[in-house]
Amino acid sequence: MVTATTDVMKQEKDSIVVGMGEYAISASPGMVLTCIGLGSCIAVCAYDLVAKIGGMMHIVLAQHQGSDTSNYSKFADTGVPLLINEILKRGGTKEKLIVKIAGGAQMTVAPGLRDTFKTGEKNLVQILYSLQKEDVGLKAADVGGNLGRTVKLVISTGAVIVKTVNGVEREI
Amino acid sequence: MESKNNLQEMVSGSQEMKAIFGGGVNNAVIGLSQMAGQEIKIVEMVVKKVLVKDIPDMFGGPEALIIAVYLEISGKSNGHMVVVYEPRVAFELVDMLLGQPNGTTTELSDMERSTLGEMGNIMGSFFLNFISDTTGNRFLPSPPAVMMDMAGAVLDAALANVLAYSDSTYIIETIFGTNDRQVSGTFLVIPDPELEGL
Repeated sequence: MVTATTDVMKQEKDSIVVGMGEYAISASPGMVLTCIGLGSCIAVCAYDLVAKIGGMMHIVLAQHQGSDTSNYSKFADTGVPLLINEILKRGGTKEKLIVKIAGGAQMTVAPGLRDTFKTGEKNLVQILYSLQKEDVGLKAADVGGNLGRTVKLVISTGAVIVKTVNGVEREI
Repeated sequence: MESKNNLQEMVSGSQEMKAIFGGGVNNAVIGLSQMAGQEIKIVEMVVKKVLVKDIPDMFGGPEALIIAVYLEISGKSNGHMVVVYEPRVAFELVDMLLGQPNGTTTELSDMERSTLGEMGNIMGSFFLNFISDTTGNRFLPSPPAVMMDMAGAVLDAALANVLAYSDSTYIIETIFGTNDRQVSGTFLVIPDPELEGL
């Protein structure tokens, strides 16, 4: 147990926070990638168990809008292929990829709001569709509900850990 | 003065535009004062351009627990209003509004949610009434939504629309409070980017 604690602390030191619309890829064993406070946003985690390389993307919206091509990682339809390709470029293989996603909550239900709060649902649908198009399966998901989440991807093991606001932490 | 048309220009535009917005925020806090039956004053009001992804940092980081009352603005142009409190402060505010001894409220049940929602209603309506009266354009608030969760989670759905078109946005951050009881909160107005031509 003591070793485990030390491990976590070491990993915490080597961590990258993936902000809204950003992504990160790492093959460094001590690294932990984190998306903090996800509401309707979804963290897509892809990990190659053999090459031990993983990536995380903090997706904000379902479909790419506007003419800007530098922001593909904000959107599910452009972000999912980008994440997969970046991992493949760094030595991953599609067949070995394990994809897990978390987030996409509907933070509130109130009458009369525009569909702002259906963003999570739309994100989820687009991610599933994009994964299918890329021919990559989804291994696990912790999505929906109305609680915010913090998601971690541990590069040494590929473990995806989800924490909600009430402090419950679990691996998916 | 046809440029008085949209919220984005009001925030980013001339001093005069900012004055109109400031008047609206002032009116919102007057509304809150009347509801609470105590003098609540604006401590600080800043109009600034920020990176959208940095907004949760204003409230102690994306994982910090906050209570937020959220309203959408629709009309000539669209936007978002969010009143943000630390949970402890929101509980004190509920006690104040319900005339209960300080410390009575310790969690959000229906009654507390409804009270905070009504507070959001009042602030939103007072704010938009002022803007509408001054500009001659109608702006309407949606019903309020009360949320208690991580700052990032509460704000990201609202911010998603903004982030779709731009990495940064103008916001109006207002900190208000009472003299004695430390009820301080942040009133945030985030205009949607104008969608014309897209």
